[in-house]
Amino acid sequence: MRDQRRKDAVWQFLTYAFVITMVIVMMVPLYWMLVAATLPQEQFLQFPPRLIPGTAFMDNFAALQERLDFVRTIRNSVLIAVIYTLLSLVLCSMAGFAFAKYEFKYKEPIFYTILATLVLPIQLLVIPLFLLMAQLDWTNTFRAIILPWAANPIGIFLMRQNMKSIPDALLESARMDGATEFQIFYRIALPTMRSSLAALAIILFLFQWDLFLYPLVILESSDMYTIPIGLAQLTGFQRIYYDQIMVAATLAIVPMVVLFLVLQKQFVSGILAGSLKE
Amino acid sequence: MTDKLNYAQVGRRRLMKGAGLAGIAGLAGCVGTGDPGSGDGSDGGDGSDGSDGSDGSGGSDDSGNAAMASEIDVWGWDVAARALQITAEEYEAENDATVAVEEFGRSAMKDRLQTNLLSGSGAPAVSMLESVDGPSFIATDSVAPLTDEIEEAGVQEDFISGKWEALTVGGDIYALPWDTGPTAVYYRRSVYDEHDIDPSSIETWADLIEEGQKLPDDQYMLNLPEGDLSGVWRYQFRQLSGEPFLDSGEVNIHNEKSLKVAQNIKEIYDADIAANIEGWTSAWFSAYGDATIASLPSAAWMEGTLRAELPDTAGDWGVYKIPALESGGPRASNWGGSNLMIANQVSEEKKQRGWDYMEWSLATEEMQLAMYDEYGLFPALETVYDEPVFDEELDFYDGQAARALFAEVAQNAPGYRFTADTPEVSQAMETELQRMINGEQSPEEAVQAAAETVAENTDRDLA
Amino acid sequence: MATSDETTDRTGQAYRRRVSEKVREATRKFRRAFRPAWDRFRFARQDLTAATPTLPRVAYLFISPFFLLFSVFLAFPVFYTLYLSFFEYQGVGQGSLFWIDLGPLYIEIPRIAQLDFVALGNYARLLGNDLFWQSMFNTSYILVIQVPLMIGLALALALALNASFMRLKGVFRTAIALPVSANLVAYSTVFLLLFNEQLGFLNYMLAGVGLGPVPWLTDGFWARNTIIAAVTWRWTGYNMIILLAGLQTIPQQLYEAAEIDGANRWEKFRYVTLPQLKPVLLFVVVLSTIGTFKLFAEPYVITGGGPTNSTITIVQYIYRQAFINFNLGYASALTVVFVAIVSVFSVVQIKIGGED
Repeated sequence: MRDQRRKDAVWQFLTYAFVITMVIVMMVPLYWMLVAATLPQEQFLQFPPRLIPGTAFMDNFAALQERLDFVRTIRNSVLIAVIYTLLSLVLCSMAGFAFAKYEFKYKEPIFYTILATLVLPIQLLVIPLFLLMAQLDWTNTFRAIILPWAANPIGIFLMRQNMKSIPDALLESARMDGATEFQIFYRIALPTMRSSLAALAIILFLFQWDLFLYPLVILESSDMYTIPIGLAQLTGFQRIYYDQIMVAATLAIVPMVVLFLVLQKQFVSGILAGSLKE
Repeated sequence: MTDKLNYAQVGRRRLMKGAGLAGIAGLAGCVGTGDPGSGDGSDGGDGSDGSDGSDGSGGSDDSGNAAMASEIDVWGWDVAARALQITAEEYEAENDATVAVEEFGRSAMKDRLQTNLLSGSGAPAVSMLESVDGPSFIATDSVAPLTDEIEEAGVQEDFISGKWEALTVGGDIYALPWDTGPTAVYYRRSVYDEHDIDPSSIETWADLIEEGQKLPDDQYMLNLPEGDLSGVWRYQFRQLSGEPFLDSGEVNIHNEKSLKVAQNIKEIYDADIAANIEGWTSAWFSAYGDATIASLPSAAWMEGTLRAELPDTAGDWGVYKIPALESGGPRASNWGGSNLMIANQVSEEKKQRGWDYMEWSLATEEMQLAMYDEYGLFPALETVYDEPVFDEELDFYDGQAARALFAEVAQNAPGYRFTADTPEVSQAMETELQRMINGEQSPEEAVQAAAETVAENTDRDLA
Repeated sequence: MATSDETTDRTGQAYRRRVSEKVREATRKFRRAFRPAWDRFRFARQDLTAATPTLPRVAYLFISPFFLLFSVFLAFPVFYTLYLSFFEYQGVGQGSLFWIDLGPLYIEIPRIAQLDFVALGNYARLLGNDLFWQSMFNTSYILVIQVPLMIGLALALALALNASFMRLKGVFRTAIALPVSANLVAYSTVFLLLFNEQLGFLNYMLAGVGLGPVPWLTDGFWARNTIIAAVTWRWTGYNMIILLAGLQTIPQQLYEAAEIDGANRWEKFRYVTLPQLKPVLLFVVVLSTIGTFKLFAEPYVITGGGPTNSTITIVQYIYRQAFINFNLGYASALTVVFVAIVSVFSVVQIKIGGED
């Protein structure tokens, strides 16, 4: 008995050690980014590298804000990403549910085709897509950024994989009770997918957040820019504005942190087990 | 079952109807390929068939010629864009027009401009074009030829002759030169003085290497970054009047001159006097800031960067001409330089206004001087070199009249045949020279391999 | 009948067999409980299908919004790329491809490009091109090391953060996933500085423990490792989150059943977790593989493809051809080949991963 407890203690210790080590590894570069954001450029470039934050954050931020209205840029990015995530969540969960739980003609080929588009490097898609947007007169609009990617193959893939584990029995019994398909989807399938939906939300948000080349080409006026474009503006030819880049990057992390916090509650274990008992 | 059959029949019937209609429409001249309004289906005219009258083509210009747009947009990056702001303000004061200059990050602008050019929409009226990119862009047929405008304005002789080669394809000129990059070696006076290095005694690279040995182990004579060997090769190759391609198109980067340059690079590297820090990184700035590296072979525009980034070093710099590769050889070359171009897809009115603005900014001595003064962009406008400001003794250089030196180099720098395949040359040279430096191959092998790669990738023959 | 020896034997094949059997038993009991309902359903469904033929259509209804957007926006670029791959790009198109002028109605479709038909010329060219094969090698090398490494770490972390004894789960979870929110330009710059040979923090620390400076960015072998490190750093947390979500859909019953039979941690993992996690694990593997195959930004910013082309990836090569050399036709052919290879790879992965 004591043996077991000691083994447990050792195991727990090792686990904590592992997790904490990884946390440190993950945080070091981010920490340095934060430090860099608080230092004036010359101090940042010195060697050996400084580890203690300075006090120049507000100065750097003011300089950044003067060069491009970064607050507005953050707002643009957040707006686009949120709308996109919500829209895509709906589309992908519906489609994923269909692929997981229904049988229909051409199911396999369609799925693999959609998956194949996942492989396409965006660089080459940019020119034809831009052409399309120009024809539709959608350049410099948010919808041009959101709509082409709303049907996200990653989303449908993830939803399908996760929904497979919903016991068919559950759905059948609901059908027997007279529920419509949509109700089954909405009231039974979705709730059990809470943590997967949360994971998907993060994936989708991040996808849109990171998009660079395509928005660069579509968005024309600087008050429409998103964060990656804004940061690219700061990398000139002869001069790389490190201090401003670091401030911008540090600020850009905040919305993602907010997103994680908002979705915290969804990462809960054992949802499925609960619903089965009933 | 019967439904299906009917559907098929219906489908076919519809198809026939459609085909019939199309035929009639075609005959009536309402449908066709090629230009509407031209009877044939060939690619006639320029690509700017935009039916957009939204250019605000109001008001004709002074010369009473084609109407000019009252609003144009201009794209540039970095300090260049800011320099254009100056000229734009002046232009707006004198003309009834709005010139909107937009500043971008360099690679961001290039990505965007390329996409807009290639897809035929969204490009600005006027944009920056680096000489090295000239022929590649021109080859896509998306740049407007300016031969007529240049001829009419009679400005061709006003610019350094070496500039035009990169902007001329098939007899047409496609851009107006802006700034140029006459080469020189910047050096830290204090370091040279401390170690008894006399810049006037450095005439060849061999001299430079020899002088470089005087420095202690923790100091370097110059920087030779592994990541930009192709840039180094190019300016030295150009120094010898080397041309990467013959007139007839064959690949020529493996000739005697190129070999000399490769050998030179190897010698510099072997002599252990060069640091290997990637340019424009913090480490690089730091090394020059504290004089770990004593000299900086570069071009006139570097002054702007040094002033902005390393203000504490002001007054400790001097310049001398790039050393020759052999005794008595040429000591003038060029590294970089931009121009302004107009996209083919914009309307004629915008093109005219764009040209008017370009001429104002680049062909007027006053404007070029203003841009040079404020942002260190060395003018390609030769006529400006006679100005007294070029003989000024500059504090930054501890009293040396650096501008006069640059002007002399600019006028003597040979031209260079950039082509649409220049990127291939740069990539191949970079790879092979890196291998050479790593000891994997000799200079002969390096230039030969580079030439072969380029020939293969571009479907050309070896000279 | 198990003898007393066997019941106390905690190792050995017999024991393992019994544990897995117990798990299977549990799942079977699970299913059997629902069998009557299942049968009833089946009959009911058959009646339903006869009466209301709407069931299959519903599926289409569910996917139609997705599919609509998909075909409108992605189909055109895909087909255009395929089309372009058989041509050599000469320049921007002049004039129109097609126009309709019916008085009030005017539609004009501009000619997009001037093209020279070369059939399979582009494809032949890429087969013989050294740089193409080099980029294939680099990409595969990075892939083979980076993907298993990252997934291993992500899985370990997900398991750790799912354990019942773990405190501060939310904090750890956020901290580990945070790298994914760092903007590409910014974090690549940071890595560039951290890994700098002379002045970087990493070598500074290594020197502190007496290890020589590592040429992270100037040596081919090490440069690849730098890229691997950067990509792994960035994406491990992301995959951890996905795996964590997957772990949380595994019903507790199965674990309880295994525990009752005295299964230890490892056995629980192997016989309960792993099989249940398979679909999501497969997702993560396929996605990471595709993602690493598509690697572009990190090598572009951190190493520029060098030194001596040791880190240039396929997509980087395609980008160079398209945006720097303007060889759009060739770049399209490269894209087609690339998509084909990776798709086949992914399909194989999915098939092997087992579709139940």
